[in-house]
Amino acid sequence: MNARALKRFFPGGRWAVIAVPFLWLLLFFAIPFLIVLKISFSRLAIAMPPYTPIVEYVDKALTLRLNLGNYVALFTDSQYVVAYLSSIRIAAVSTLLCLLIGYPMAYFIARMKPSTRNIALMAVVLPSWISFLLRVYAWVGILDANGILNRALMGLGVIDAPLRILYTPLAAYIGIVYCYLPFMVLPLYANLVKLDLRLLEAAYDLGAKPWQAFLRITLPLSRAGIVAGCMLVMIPAVGEFVIPEMLGGPDTLMIGRVLWGEFFNNRDWPAASAVAIVMLLLLMVPILVFNRYQQKEMEGRLT
Amino acid sequence: MAAINERANGFPAEAGSERYLRIEGVRKEFDGFVAVDDVSLDIRKGEIFALLGGSGSGKSTLLRCLAGFERPTKGKIVLDGEVMNDLPPYERPINMMFQSYALFPHMTVEQNIAFGLKQDGLAKDAIRRRVGEMLEMVQLEKLAKRKPHQLSGGQQQRVALARSLAKGPKLLLLDEPMGALDKKLRSRMQLELVNIIETSGVTCVMVTHDQEEAMTMATRIALIDQGWIQQVGTPDEIYEQPGNRFAAGFIGSVNLVEATIDEDEPDYVTLRTPAFDAPIHIGHGITGFEGQQVSFALRPEKLGIGKAEPEQPHNKAHGTIEDIAYFGSHSVYHVRLPSGIKLMANFTNQQRWASEGMTWGDQVWLWWGDNDGVVLTS
Repeated sequence: MNARALKRFFPGGRWAVIAVPFLWLLLFFAIPFLIVLKISFSRLAIAMPPYTPIVEYVDKALTLRLNLGNYVALFTDSQYVVAYLSSIRIAAVSTLLCLLIGYPMAYFIARMKPSTRNIALMAVVLPSWISFLLRVYAWVGILDANGILNRALMGLGVIDAPLRILYTPLAAYIGIVYCYLPFMVLPLYANLVKLDLRLLEAAYDLGAKPWQAFLRITLPLSRAGIVAGCMLVMIPAVGEFVIPEMLGGPDTLMIGRVLWGEFFNNRDWPAASAVAIVMLLLLMVPILVFNRYQQKEMEGRLT
Repeated sequence: MAAINERANGFPAEAGSERYLRIEGVRKEFDGFVAVDDVSLDIRKGEIFALLGGSGSGKSTLLRCLAGFERPTKGKIVLDGEVMNDLPPYERPINMMFQSYALFPHMTVEQNIAFGLKQDGLAKDAIRRRVGEMLEMVQLEKLAKRKPHQLSGGQQQRVALARSLAKGPKLLLLDEPMGALDKKLRSRMQLELVNIIETSGVTCVMVTHDQEEAMTMATRIALIDQGWIQQVGTPDEIYEQPGNRFAAGFIGSVNLVEATIDEDEPDYVTLRTPAFDAPIHIGHGITGFEGQQVSFALRPEKLGIGKAEPEQPHNKAHGTIEDIAYFGSHSVYHVRLPSGIKLMANFTNQQRWASEGMTWGDQVWLWWGDNDGVVLTS
């Protein structure tokens, strides 16, 4: 047996490198996902674990029983529909706010001198070094009726009575925008810093005023950065649980909280699983759109 | 210097011609560094004018001042009677073809050419017609729907040219037009570009570091160094009558010899130089005085080379062939004189094979005519 044949039986280092993350994803993502999918088709039972099996072997008959009741409930019980829509709305509005705040930030960082640019980028990333939970908790201290913000505003005489911000949807928006802003700024920055400034000069030269050049050159050329930033903010924001739980009031209905409630308060694992599966499907839509867009961009480059 | 700059600015000689673009005492400083130093130029309508210089000579800064990307620290830029200084680039009737073109990557060829027209708020029909004309002019009708990255370098250049001519500018600026092309394509595109520009009749200022490009394309050349205009003239004027040592050295290769004016007569001049045993004889008068230190410039192709001593009593030198560099169409002989000076002499290869087989180490004579060299006083 020569070396070549040996190689075929014992795949090389390239395989090992791919296999490790592949196995990791299989063990901790694909298999749990399949388990959740299975539970979502079962029935609630007072047992351990608290659901019925979907495959049974009784009297020499193998039966597969798929219970669609959990999914039917999602569409008939308005609580779920409202929660899904509300999650998507909150995530969409937060994404838009992140874009409106993040685009100018990324734009001006990209136009800075390289030395100051790194400091500015550092300032964007630095808060992420502190635990996410602590940063959200810090907002409680800021937005509280007795918090820093209210005391400062009252001290300055701007308001007489403390503003009620904490435990309202507004606080949830503030929290989400604050936490996810770096995910918007960084891809946008990476895109804008590559922009060839001579293209803008060419646009001026051809009669475009600076704002026209921005609309016709900078903005369309940064589309990939905008799409990437929006995906990075929107997708995790839809399923966000911690921020609406800690900052938003009871009326800040998000699907993450519904899921938590089903699982831990009602101990209804099948319903919780169905909620999770549908959320995943909902998130697949923008991801697929994004993929298609990227593919089109690639094809456009090749042909 | 004063005498040369007066000639360089071209005021007395060009009195009758149209002064379409006037650059008057333009100076540009960056944090105390003077990039362009009191440059004055007059450019005629329909002319292709080249700013030729090395990197850091200030030629690009001057071009950017014309385009409006830089504001002159001092001086005036007047185009067709209108002062340009305070106009931003988007209000100037000037368009530029950028170095490496700066085509908009997200737009098709058509959209790139239409950009400026749309900006002017032209009607859709008018835009389509004008874009069609432009595409026809640069022969890219078939590629109208392509994106820039799907085009070759030469095609991209033509799109860039069409885009900068679409608005019918009063002045076209070319920034290193051939910089992004390989050498073979370059010579073809140079002539093609000139044809298109001449057809459109636009006045054109180009910037280049490539003397060959400037000579091929331009009607007149301004040689620029350290922010200063060294000489202005037609390509053959600059080559045949360099105004100073810089001009002589920058364009083509040259033999430069230090000399002293020995006799200064109205119709001839003789120079003495430690480099040659024989005196140098110039067949016309120059502005100078006896005893003045000057440089004598002699192009390698003006030198004759042979084994026999020429009969003339002057304009000759004797030496040893030290090197022969073969260039295909011609060879350059490097001849070391007893004084230590090395002279270059070109010899077309047709002559070379017909010659007596001069080779390394041979003793040879070099000679030249009375009007072949140039006396440089600065």
